[in-house]
Amino acid sequence: MTDPTLIRNFSIIAHIDHGKSTLADRMLELTNTIADRDMMEQVLDSMDIERERGITIKAQAVRVYFEAADGLTYQLNLIDTPGHVDFTYEVSRSLAACEGVLLVVDATQGVEAQTVANAQLAMNAHLEIVPIINKIDLPAADPERVRHEIEEGLAIPADDAVLTSGKTGLGVREALEAVVKHVPHPVGDPDAPLKALIFDSYFDAYRGVVALIRVMDGKVSKGMKVRLLATQTVTDVEEVGVRRPANVPVDALTVGEVGYLITGLKDPSIMKVGDTITLAKHGTEEPLPGYREVKPMVYTGLFPIDGDQYPELRDALDKLQLNDPALIYDPESSHALGFGFRVGFLGLLHMEVVKERLEREFDLDLLATAPSVEYHVFKTNGTSEYIHSPQDMPDPGTIDRMEEPYLKVTVLVPPEYVGAVMELAEGHRASFKDMQYLSKTTVEMHYEMPLSELIMDYFDQLKSRTKGYASLDYEYIGYRESALVKLDVLLATKIVDALSFIVHKDKAYARGKILTEKLREIIPRQMFEVPIQAAIGGRIIARETVKAKRKDVLAKCYGGDISRKRKLLEKQKKGKKRMKNVGNIEVPQEAFMAILKVDE
Amino acid sequence: MSSPGDTPALPEHLYVHVPLCRTKCAYCDFYSLPLAGVTEDVSSIAASLAAQAQAWLARDVRPQLLKSLYIGGGTPTVLGPELAMLVAVLTTWFPLAPGAEVTVEANPESLDASLAAALAEAGVTRVSLGVQSLDDGVLAFLERPHDAATARAAAHAVRDAGLALSVDLICGIPGQTAQSWIDTLNGAIAMRPEHVSVYPLAIEAGTPLSAAVAIGDVPEPDPDTAADMMLLAQHVLGQAGLARYEVANYALPGAESRHNTAYWTGAPYLGVGPGAHGMLDAATAAAVGFTPARADDVARLRYSVACDLREGLTPMPRLDVEVLTGEETRREDVMLGLRLARGVADDEAGAAGVTGALETLEAAGLVELVESRWRTTERGWLLGNEVFSAVWAGE
Repeated sequence: MTDPTLIRNFSIIAHIDHGKSTLADRMLELTNTIADRDMMEQVLDSMDIERERGITIKAQAVRVYFEAADGLTYQLNLIDTPGHVDFTYEVSRSLAACEGVLLVVDATQGVEAQTVANAQLAMNAHLEIVPIINKIDLPAADPERVRHEIEEGLAIPADDAVLTSGKTGLGVREALEAVVKHVPHPVGDPDAPLKALIFDSYFDAYRGVVALIRVMDGKVSKGMKVRLLATQTVTDVEEVGVRRPANVPVDALTVGEVGYLITGLKDPSIMKVGDTITLAKHGTEEPLPGYREVKPMVYTGLFPIDGDQYPELRDALDKLQLNDPALIYDPESSHALGFGFRVGFLGLLHMEVVKERLEREFDLDLLATAPSVEYHVFKTNGTSEYIHSPQDMPDPGTIDRMEEPYLKVTVLVPPEYVGAVMELAEGHRASFKDMQYLSKTTVEMHYEMPLSELIMDYFDQLKSRTKGYASLDYEYIGYRESALVKLDVLLATKIVDALSFIVHKDKAYARGKILTEKLREIIPRQMFEVPIQAAIGGRIIARETVKAKRKDVLAKCYGGDISRKRKLLEKQKKGKKRMKNVGNIEVPQEAFMAILKVDE
Repeated sequence: MSSPGDTPALPEHLYVHVPLCRTKCAYCDFYSLPLAGVTEDVSSIAASLAAQAQAWLARDVRPQLLKSLYIGGGTPTVLGPELAMLVAVLTTWFPLAPGAEVTVEANPESLDASLAAALAEAGVTRVSLGVQSLDDGVLAFLERPHDAATARAAAHAVRDAGLALSVDLICGIPGQTAQSWIDTLNGAIAMRPEHVSVYPLAIEAGTPLSAAVAIGDVPEPDPDTAADMMLLAQHVLGQAGLARYEVANYALPGAESRHNTAYWTGAPYLGVGPGAHGMLDAATAAAVGFTPARADDVARLRYSVACDLREGLTPMPRLDVEVLTGEETRREDVMLGLRLARGVADDEAGAAGVTGALETLEAAGLVELVESRWRTTERGWLLGNEVFSAVWAGE
């Protein structure tokens, strides 16, 4: 077995765009883990969407060997984690596999909301935090200010902060030396029964579920019988290995080591992130702390524009779920949109990523309805139920009260924008808690607000009202009672179920009015007049009209250019095909998202 | 009308495109270059255009007497006296059938009495005058290089030369009032034209006007206003005896443009000059060797002339070709036929397989079946795209 004192398990955490993945690339290069010819940007981000958007969605673990200044060669296990708040649980499990983190802060941007959130996660996990000030090659870099922000704002000593540039490779060796020097080596009992943490998993078409694991006690090797504590599943170990970053089988993973494990299980829902693996017989009965069931927070209806694509959509969701057990879906049918799925996501980014992957990787044309949260409905007959679609809202007469999920929201912003943030908060039912200066240039503000308001375009508006300076983080704090009503939208006097939404009763009138105005702009004029109404219960609260189209003709046809005229007609027709026919009304896709853009 | 079974022959209609203008107007996306930017002299450009026309005679197909010759642009009259020469040369190579229609397009600022007389002398029978508006404010907005008085003078010159007059007008222009439009219509009627064309302004991509709309300097044309103005035109022109015979064209009885009617009735036509368009029946297309080798069901061939004045005009420029199957050709004929007031015979629609589509349009009040002919209704004229695209799609 590897001497645990020569092992370091660490993660890199950062706010989005602070250069985490590029820094990881340089570490792989410096340790000759990847040959130059195989080097591409963001090696650990294997999905196209990850590279394009510069985000990490799936965790990764890669082993490198580093010859330190002390002359010893260390086994470093770098665990790359998602940076986004949607994946907080995944991040926390990745951190549980580490003894330390590199906290990367952009030398031009300084500490941002996810820097704070991720640093807190690391502190809660009692990890050693090594501050890294990155992008110091940029002209606007101000390492002194950033050092100060780290010390003042995060209470992390930053005198020894390593200055790096992922772009030029400057300071990367020093960063790895700091890992060796400051991150504690793993401590475990090599003679105890196996105890290993699953911190992520992915699906391989040939091998089944591949779990990424950290061995806490004992060892795991090929041929062993192991048991998963959460599901009490017993299975054989087909292979263990390490990722460099391609899979390299090894005889065993021993105490303190990180690697992968293949059992031949095909069902990803059995290999749950955060679960504990032990021996089938005489194993431990005590699971590692922190495990929980992942629960979607945001739901949306996904419908194929072309109803014939329904089976393809189902197959695509099945396939995506193999790599993304957090994705859940149930069939949903809509009078307006036909057959589709109600899909649950961890958050808005997760939703966007999944929709984009479905469209790109599976060539589907999808219509998404406005996202909603999961409401808890308490009925007058004493029963209660969770609903995650406005369509499922029971008759108001049967509802005693309703609760909705609330968040603690943290906004980091320069002091001059505090007023703008407060103003925005008011429009989103957010209650101000407190604020404090992290430094002269950064204020940390805390709010409590409903998740349903956060997904109402809050982030985009926050960004635009603070000229992009504000950063945001949030955590769930549970359900709270709210006076909620269902608002229906009628086109040509018929309720379009896919346009209904649940809203606080004090906001219903204003949002109904703005939404009908928005829809009047979005819905093109048809051959007949289309009244648009917003209604609560049976009561109409707002009305607009899309006037009938009177003129649509390409009268000019010059010099006998019939081909061009026909092509214009075909183009026009194609544009209509991208719309959804609701009854006999052509409704553009964006209409179903219009409620998100209702800026009061 | 020709059909694939006919012996191959050159078309009886010829269009020649003169790709020059004094200046470019704000709304125009036709292929033409401002005169100032062209180094070649106009007589050699005219000669190159004539050579492109003549090259068709070198192909192994029987020529026919022309029923119509149309010289369009651009602004053909910027050629000045060379334009009369071009007409004379073309009609020498392509002899005219008795009573043939010979039209030239003209802009008011480049047509005076002496040019009108020279055109008449060369065999021109008809002038299509780009008046567009008789409101100087509207003309300035469109960046037309003339005012209303110049347009009236040019119309006089046309009449004095004994030529038939067609007047082009545009409606639905941002800033154009109903009164301005009525005045323009009445002013146009006072020119005693045999023929009037009325186009609602379209914002074409790549024009200065479309850029101005995009940045918000100019409001988007209001389709309702354009609809009102089109109805007004129909009414006012109708009272003056100018009846609508096509979606955008009005004429005194018997003065309908024979050349334009050819476009709507499936008659083949040659197009010559940069950006010009032509249409050939299958037999002629095959005889001149244009039909793609792999196409097995070709009934009609449409082409556009892909050459650029700045790169020089060769006698046989490259043609971009599109072929239509028999089924597509039949649907296209119905689509084009519905642009005409006389409409399309019910059995022709049936043969094209579009009766169902027409019945749906009938239910929406866009077409009607009268005496076994499908005709576009007043509402249908305004919503022509709905009619044309439904028929072309066949659904």
